[in-house]
Amino acid sequence: MSSKDNSENNRMLPWFGIPKLLPYVRPYRKMIVVMVTLGIVSSLIDSVYPLFNRYALDHFVAGETLQGLGLFIVLYVILLVIQVIGNFISTYLGGKVEMSVDRDLRNAAFNHLQTLSFSYFNQNNVGYIHARVMSDSGKIGELIAWYLMDTVWNGSYVICVLIMMLAINLRLALYILALLPFAALMIIFFQRILVVLNRKIREINSTITGDFNEGITGAKQIKTLVVEDTIQKDFEKDTEEYRHTAVRAAHHSALFRSLVTLTSSAALALVLWKGGMITRQGVIMIGTLSVFMTYALGMMEPIQNVISTLSGVIAIQVNIERLTRLLETESDVADTPEVIEKYGDTFHPKKENWEPLHGDVEFRDVSFRYPDGDEMVLEHFDLKVPHGTNVAIVGETGAGKSTLVNLVCRFYEPTMGQVLIDGRDVRERSQLWLHSSIGYVLQTPHLFSGSVRDNLRYGKPDATDEEIWQALRLVSAEDVVGKLDKGLDSDVGEGGSNLSTGEKQLLSFARALLADPRILVLDEATSSIDTVTEKAIQDAIGTVIRGRTSFVIAHRLSTIVNANIILLVSDGKIIERGTHAELMAKKGAYYELYTRQYIEMETDRAY
Amino acid sequence: MKDNKERFPTRVHLVVYFLKGNLRFFVLSVLFASFVSVFDLINPKIIGFTVDSVIGDRQPELTGIAAFVLEKAGGISYLRGHLGLVAAAVVLIALFAACCRYLFNLMNAMGAEKLVRRMRDSLFEHILHLPYAWHGTQQTGDIIQRCTSDVEMVKRFLAEQMTGLLRVVLLLVLAIWFMAGIHPTLTLAAGVFLPVIVGYSLFFHSRIGASFEKVDIHEGKLSAIAQENLTGVRVVRAFGREQYERERFETQNREYTKMWVDLMRLMSMFFSVGDLISGLQILTVTALGAVFCVRGALSAGDYIAFISYNAMLTWPVRGLGRIISEMSKAGISIDRIRFIMNSPVEKDRENALTPPMDKDISFEHVSFAYEGSEDKILDDVSFTVKAGTTLGILGSTGSGKSTLMQLLDRLYSLDEEDASEGAKDASGEGKSGAGKGSGRRSGRITVGGVDIADMKASWVRSHIGFVLQEPFLFSRTLAENIAIAVSDSGPAHKSNKTTGKNRASYMDEVRRAAKIASLDETVRRFTKGYETFVGERGVTLSGGQKQRTAIAQMLIRRPPIMVFDDSLSAVDAQTDAKIRHALEENTGSSTRILIGHRITTLMNADQIIVMDKGRIAEQGTHEELLKAGGIYRRIYDLQTNAYEQ
Repeated sequence: MSSKDNSENNRMLPWFGIPKLLPYVRPYRKMIVVMVTLGIVSSLIDSVYPLFNRYALDHFVAGETLQGLGLFIVLYVILLVIQVIGNFISTYLGGKVEMSVDRDLRNAAFNHLQTLSFSYFNQNNVGYIHARVMSDSGKIGELIAWYLMDTVWNGSYVICVLIMMLAINLRLALYILALLPFAALMIIFFQRILVVLNRKIREINSTITGDFNEGITGAKQIKTLVVEDTIQKDFEKDTEEYRHTAVRAAHHSALFRSLVTLTSSAALALVLWKGGMITRQGVIMIGTLSVFMTYALGMMEPIQNVISTLSGVIAIQVNIERLTRLLETESDVADTPEVIEKYGDTFHPKKENWEPLHGDVEFRDVSFRYPDGDEMVLEHFDLKVPHGTNVAIVGETGAGKSTLVNLVCRFYEPTMGQVLIDGRDVRERSQLWLHSSIGYVLQTPHLFSGSVRDNLRYGKPDATDEEIWQALRLVSAEDVVGKLDKGLDSDVGEGGSNLSTGEKQLLSFARALLADPRILVLDEATSSIDTVTEKAIQDAIGTVIRGRTSFVIAHRLSTIVNANIILLVSDGKIIERGTHAELMAKKGAYYELYTRQYIEMETDRAY
Repeated sequence: MKDNKERFPTRVHLVVYFLKGNLRFFVLSVLFASFVSVFDLINPKIIGFTVDSVIGDRQPELTGIAAFVLEKAGGISYLRGHLGLVAAAVVLIALFAACCRYLFNLMNAMGAEKLVRRMRDSLFEHILHLPYAWHGTQQTGDIIQRCTSDVEMVKRFLAEQMTGLLRVVLLLVLAIWFMAGIHPTLTLAAGVFLPVIVGYSLFFHSRIGASFEKVDIHEGKLSAIAQENLTGVRVVRAFGREQYERERFETQNREYTKMWVDLMRLMSMFFSVGDLISGLQILTVTALGAVFCVRGALSAGDYIAFISYNAMLTWPVRGLGRIISEMSKAGISIDRIRFIMNSPVEKDRENALTPPMDKDISFEHVSFAYEGSEDKILDDVSFTVKAGTTLGILGSTGSGKSTLMQLLDRLYSLDEEDASEGAKDASGEGKSGAGKGSGRRSGRITVGGVDIADMKASWVRSHIGFVLQEPFLFSRTLAENIAIAVSDSGPAHKSNKTTGKNRASYMDEVRRAAKIASLDETVRRFTKGYETFVGERGVTLSGGQKQRTAIAQMLIRRPPIMVFDDSLSAVDAQTDAKIRHALEENTGSSTRILIGHRITTLMNADQIIVMDKGRIAEQGTHEELLKAGGIYRRIYDLQTNAYEQ
């Protein structure tokens, strides 16, 4: 992943990628116009305040009169109130725009993900995709609202002040102007160093988090190997590197900050010197001198802010790139416009046009290569699976047993040839139509956080409690729910963490049964569970596959032996097929695999 | 309990412990911060003087050092002709201020980073030395959060908030003192606003803090929905519930966004009210100052200086409320860290022994129950393994065979008193469940007649090569993983980065161990060979490859006792046989304990134990057990029949 990130960092998008965001910004353009306008007004007022000082000094103090003080106060308060209200509105709108853009992007990304094919999910891990949805969108929202506002506030303040200075006294203004290029160069110089150092700090920091993870999850290994000291020493290397880098960054940023304030003071000294002379000559009054001093002191910070904002924009383009790439990714399994026209799309199904599904599946001369692979895993493969047939797919872990299942479910499409459902090419009807009739039970059962009822109803939202209990009974899972405090209303916890693996498995069978699918795909669990649950699960499997076309990625002997067709997969290819008796007689790879598994399972059962 | 005293009874104890070795940096940083304040406060004075006496015509009324400096500079009339000198003075003072500001920030960062390093190192070391039982009771994510976010929180508390507070108070005192020197009444007028600013800022920050927590919770929910959707993408698709997922996400997203917008309104309100109060304060000072000037109670220069002082106060005072409200949160973080640091680490008995380990191993009436469970996983188990022989253990899942080995390796203790070690849960509440069951843990395990409980735990473990069923690989290269336990001991392995001869012999050792474990061939197929980076951030190895790596890792240590806890479960029968032959030839006089499922793995052992429900069901040699016609026989028949079927 890291090499990929680097290449992303180096790529420059035209206009930092911001034009790609325009569709998401457009709905809020009115708000943005208002907040920018108010921001400029606020900066303008900020640059006007020193003029009050000037008036106080030159009019009241120098003129030794209090005449006009009332008006002075009233005017000041009016400006203050305008500014405060303006700031309130623009800050509030800023937050609103930020969060709205953020929300829209998150929705867009999330919804787009619902339509992407599985090759996308196989090529990108969950953590990576999750970060695109959750954090990239946030960064971009921040960019649109706050980076913009910071630039407006600081930039317009600098411009207003420059205009004021030039208008009040050209010569004095030019002195200060002469200092600015040096200041800007210095700021840019340090900013670049700091960006690099801060990135390094973040990297080391995540290494350290990884170290903690290793020290905790690897506790047993560390203890049995007695390598506590080695691990600790390496950890201290990382924390020392972190300290060293952080102090280096602090050194630069401290130097930077000190130099910026020093430059401000230098500007002030310049005003005092040159301005003092012309004041003594009577060219300007003390009030004007004071205004210049205030401007000189207060200019460096906004300039620094503008520069750091701009360097922030460069950093954020990585996020823009990643997110827009996600949004632009096209699914390699997509329904044709004609299919969508008739059957509806992912979010707007036209169920009235859906034909019933019987469950005849046929592979006709199918060749298949994974989009990210370069080898054909299926070549001219033919297989007829009449409805109600039970197909067992067996083979070593990682041998590619999911391929057929992925094709039946149309999670992938054949590179060549056809997959037919009820005699028609699977591509002739919509994905949602097919998926609504397929039940899928996973090896690692996935439950959603929420109640048991919500989870069971996942495949059939309108299921009654009666139906739910009926399904639970069929898979002998009524005890699992019965012993929970609140029955069907019990919370299963995040990812079902309140339940054991075996219990989750049983519930996922019940869930599949409720949906009453015509085609059932089952990925049996390999993990060992207690014998009682094991028995319950085996019975459940028997129940759910009855009368349905089923594809079972099988580990249990009973499931395998009773299957109508057994397919043995090795290195991604189907090397043997037939019934159990046929394959045993052949004494090939299946025979060997079977005997080995048989030993292990029977050994445990022998007690 | 043996030892009821906590290592860090209060928060202060822990903070003092962490501050050791870095406190001086913080002291220096505060010292430099006060210099910064002083220097920053001098410049307005100079400007005031310049305006009044150099640019204006007022006779300077200076005393002490200021008068002396003025004298040296050539007197007031000379200065009037050479204003550049005043400017130079301003720059000079600013330079001093800049130096002190640099040193202040640097010292602060040095202290802060040393502090963070000390906190992380202490936590990591402590966690490494906590009993294995403790790890079983904790959630990894929670502990990591304590070691990262909470450490960050404590750092901010000590390095930013505490020093920040000191700095602001110092600045406040000095500035008010300078201001009072100029005009006491005006100072009073400026000062009455300060408590108002601090108070309102404190009020808002506590409310904003509460809102932030709510937003965090909602963000967590939203994040969880996305996470679940992505991990469950197959389920979503298979049930065709994209529309439902979309609605779920969008609803929560809307909710979350709304909370944020509410929070933003609060924050905008906070900033605006702050602006208003500060603006009014500045107006008061400006207007009142003008009045005093006109009345002659204040010179123009002093007026300018006063306004500068006042401006210097605004932002630090507004920040004060935030500092105070955030400081209150640090206490919780300190407690969360204190929980880890207070958990008792593994301890050896006093004068722990280091006897020779190449002796007979003996289990004597060993009974054991896990923490919080009443069921005995082991019930009165006794057997002896003669030095240099091989013991095979056969048993079903949950029969207690792994527990036997974990006890031998001191991962769990047979000591009843240690039983509650891991029992405290994260919230710091008392012991869970069970309590002191009678005889839940009893018996002893000896090596050469010495109770392993009397030995050093590290001694025991370093002489037992324990190959786990599900080994953990570290984030380093394969070679480093294999040699990890020897990389810093023994003359040949001074450093795993050494070049030349040492390096060569180090690689020879690695390769030799890998060959015995049947790993060498597999590694040769990797493009980077032994330099392949594995572990969480590297290449993922298969279960069988991991197990073979773990065997190599054990072999390189040449321990007198070797334990294979079902360590070949993920490799195929052929490789299993190959490894076993290689082991027999190469492990010499070591005592070996094999736990397994396959009769072929165990049949050549000098002695075989069959475990069933925590007890020894059968015991003897392969032939004896076959004759006995019990469980062993049944399994043997099953397995041989299966092959001959």
